[in-house]
Amino acid sequence: MADPLMYLLDAVAYAGIFGILSISLNLEYGYTNLANFGKAAFFMMGAYITAIMSGLKYPFIVNSLLAILITSVIGALTSLPALRLKEDFLAITMITLGEVMKLIIKNEEWLAGGVWGISGIASAITIPGLTFRERLIVQIALIYSILIVCYFICELIVKTPYGRILKTIREDEIVASTYGKNVFKYKIQVFTVGSAMSGLAGSLFAQYIGTINPYMFEPTVTFVVWMMVILGGPANNLGAILGAFMVEGIQRASRLFKDYLNLPLDPVNLQVMFTAILVITVIFYRPQGLLKEKIKPYEGSPHKIIAPKFMEVKSWIRRS
Amino acid sequence: MINWLQVLTNSIIWGCMYMLATVGLSLSYGLSRFPNFAHAEYITFGAYMAFLFLVMLNLDIYLAVGLAVSLSAFIGGLSYLLLFKPLKSRGASLVHLMVSSIGLGFLIRHFLMQTFGGGIKSFRIVWPTISIGPIVTTPLLLAILIVALVIAFMLHILLTKTKLGKAIRATADNPELAAASGIDLNKVSLFTWSLGAALAGFSGIFLAMRSSLVPLLGWKVLLQTFAITLLGGIGSFYGVLIASFILGLSENVGVVILTWLGLSADYRSAIAFIILVATLILKPEGLMAVARRRV
Repeated sequence: MADPLMYLLDAVAYAGIFGILSISLNLEYGYTNLANFGKAAFFMMGAYITAIMSGLKYPFIVNSLLAILITSVIGALTSLPALRLKEDFLAITMITLGEVMKLIIKNEEWLAGGVWGISGIASAITIPGLTFRERLIVQIALIYSILIVCYFICELIVKTPYGRILKTIREDEIVASTYGKNVFKYKIQVFTVGSAMSGLAGSLFAQYIGTINPYMFEPTVTFVVWMMVILGGPANNLGAILGAFMVEGIQRASRLFKDYLNLPLDPVNLQVMFTAILVITVIFYRPQGLLKEKIKPYEGSPHKIIAPKFMEVKSWIRRS
Repeated sequence: MINWLQVLTNSIIWGCMYMLATVGLSLSYGLSRFPNFAHAEYITFGAYMAFLFLVMLNLDIYLAVGLAVSLSAFIGGLSYLLLFKPLKSRGASLVHLMVSSIGLGFLIRHFLMQTFGGGIKSFRIVWPTISIGPIVTTPLLLAILIVALVIAFMLHILLTKTKLGKAIRATADNPELAAASGIDLNKVSLFTWSLGAALAGFSGIFLAMRSSLVPLLGWKVLLQTFAITLLGGIGSFYGVLIASFILGLSENVGVVILTWLGLSADYRSAIAFIILVATLILKPEGLMAVARRRV
């Protein structure tokens, strides 16, 4: 793109879409220790459902709701056998699910356009008479309002007692089940919410970009989202969004950089190799990420914490 | 009319190929307790090295294959020494190990793409066809069969008769106890990782010679290798042996059924996925579990 502002706005829009993916992975991995290596698969499903439904002239709101519904159901069903086992089984199932999904999309040309993909996906908001730049700003407003909603949903989930149970599951499943929590149920719920958010991100992506094909959803996408969470800081939603901005920034910068440096390297190879080295370095030297998890310090004696709760319960009993 | 004898032969040959590709993954998984997603790239690496020595440098075929296999072993050992061993000693979590193995995989694949280009390559060897009764085959496929059987026999001897093999099995079973009995865990791990990568490289050469050489060569069989690892039971050599032939057979019979149903033969990898999920539901410890999985 010739217009530098357009390039910047495009990067901002991408960062928003990937921010949604990043906080959904943060909910799964950062808070519950579910290793979802199939982000690209759910992202792809959301995008394709939107594209197919858009071809049938349904409005975006219907498409995105359907995308959320289908991805969450598929997420729950496919994770079901692996969630009872250790993290590595889930990782293997999800990474292979991505390949199978791509196989279906490449082969079923009648449904998803095969390797050529689907083009002409209608955008969510069409206001006639806007310039290209103004339309981009409308898109960014839409993407960021959804990102903010997703952020607050995640914050709500993790700040409540429900979130504390998730963190307990992450630290020690046996402890969580000793306290009578159905670990399996919580894991499925979290995975379903995470898949739904990825589906929504895919839906936004499809309507934003207008043309999709199976090659946009390579396993590198999953890896990039992991990079965002690990770099930004697992178990910190702001960190996940920060990670999304940083990784998108690094990727855009490396693309620009390449034009000025005239390196004898292919930009895609350079980008992937650089990302891989960066991830390994972060895991080596700062596994907690840039923004650490905020852990509330232990305040005073246990009595001080328990006593007000006890009063609450007492007054609640009196009232009812 | 379907030539079932031919289907059976193909299944056995595919089984041999999968066995070579998977043994290393399963052994290193059992030993180091995490799935190495970079294993798929050892397959690709071996194939590209063979291409380098055989086609670009015009070396003798045995020498070229030998060099490619030893370089794969080197890469496998190096990735253990430089990446996974330090990570483990820093107390990295299972998820961190998996993420860094994916990272390593991408690094190897894109390094190869950068060096050799991303296009399709061919070994430019035309294999004559041999007919044995109703079965049609090529010298390459026979070579795969013989090499795989010899390697399987040698692995059996190694794992049951030698001290090193017994140390591998003991470590996979219980690392603390093995270390307490005086087994050098580092040496055993290093050997297993190198051996596994060497065999993966070997299978990569065969895979590439059978069809063509692409950067996604290894990634395309990732699904199959993991299905075999889980079906056979993580860390079990005999499990891999049985599971690869089960997968080879079900894929080849599956392709017949798929064409009969009018579906694309590309769905053969989906068969591996079905086997993988079925294993997780029915028997998550695999057919022959060595490493006990604690849930």
